[in-house]
Amino acid sequence: MSFFKEFTKGLWNELPPFRLLLGLCPVLAITKNANNGLGMGLAVLFVLVLSNMIVSLVRDIIPKKVRIACFIIIAATLVVAVELLMQAYAYPLYQQLGIFVPLIVVNCIILGRAEAFAAKNPVYLAIADGLGMGIGFTLSLTFLGAIREILGAGSIFGYSLFGESFEPFHIMVEAPGAFICLGVILGFMNYLSKVQNRRRGLDKKNVGSACSVCGGCTACSRGNASA
Amino acid sequence: MKSILKMVSVLSVLCAVAGFVLSYLKMSTVVPIENQLLTYVQGPAILNVFRDAENDPIKDRKSFIVGDGKKINVFPAIKDGKLFGVAIEGFGQGYGGDIGVMVGYNVQNDTLVTIDITTHKETPGLGSRVTEEGFIKQFKGKPYQVALKNQGGEIDAISGATVSSTGTILAINNAGNDYKALKDEIIKTWNSGAKNEFFQGIHQRSVE
Repeated sequence: MSFFKEFTKGLWNELPPFRLLLGLCPVLAITKNANNGLGMGLAVLFVLVLSNMIVSLVRDIIPKKVRIACFIIIAATLVVAVELLMQAYAYPLYQQLGIFVPLIVVNCIILGRAEAFAAKNPVYLAIADGLGMGIGFTLSLTFLGAIREILGAGSIFGYSLFGESFEPFHIMVEAPGAFICLGVILGFMNYLSKVQNRRRGLDKKNVGSACSVCGGCTACSRGNASA
Repeated sequence: MKSILKMVSVLSVLCAVAGFVLSYLKMSTVVPIENQLLTYVQGPAILNVFRDAENDPIKDRKSFIVGDGKKINVFPAIKDGKLFGVAIEGFGQGYGGDIGVMVGYNVQNDTLVTIDITTHKETPGLGSRVTEEGFIKQFKGKPYQVALKNQGGEIDAISGATVSSTGTILAINNAGNDYKALKDEIIKTWNSGAKNEFFQGIHQRSVE
């Protein structure tokens, strides 16, 4: 349980939007361009690190029965703070992200990490977890935003890439484009981990110790065999 | 019983701390947020209203206090070295929330130079049509108090969006009331001999 291990798990193995499939609402809604993805990711990163830190600091004081309410108060306070700071120093971004900034409060990543990790671990590990998850989230959103922007508008971070003659693939910056991109990325990531696992000599049935508890994999392969 | 007390006290303390932090942050971001609003929301609207002003209406703005202690910003437009008009933002209740309208007044004859919508939350494609040129251009040269045709005035409402149209009219008339109340002060501020001194003061302050 080292600092580094907690930090890196959010970057690949438990990458929030593409692995855990958590917090998909902003992922799909605001990644029309790379800038928005980066801005939203940084806002979530800020809230997540601080909320993990505070939750971990007060984890022994908070009575078990009201812990969810306490987590939500902490997250909501931080989100309103981000909202005010964004209005004060990055107004155009605030206009672009609109309702999705206040909605960070109910983003499952924030509450999920508080409940699953920060409430049970010491402060430095909670910060590592928040940093890793937050950076993973930011990178994922920026990546998805960049793909959609390149295909849908022919630019990246607002800089034109292909010149006048490029005919943009408009659907990519609309809602369906988000689903298509996400699906393709998920498929690609699954394929990649499959290849990785095969190279390490692991087969589907024991991907990790935690996964074997569920037994879904064996049930699934049995289903496949009978079909 | 003891655990209930603990829950109540922990939650109360947490809420109190949260409230204190947020109110402090709210107070300390009032000025930067106002500046950002001026740059990104009101600024473009003012430039639309006074396309040919010789000065920078945003930099030369001044706030006045009207009647009940409400603070409003007045944006002056200078043409040929003289105060030509002022812009004042007014708000009126629309369908989805307040509609903000930047209204430009010609100080010579108290008519509207033109208007521009700054903020609104009206239904897209329906109430949001108050921002369209066809609706807005009706206000050009009208007296500073306006009314819809069905209220005995000369403005055509947008069909199917009466509430939004009325909200816009209300915002203009609210700005008009402020304008009327402040007119003498406005004239005194920008057309007196102290004008140059005043502008220098403003510029110095903005440089600092």
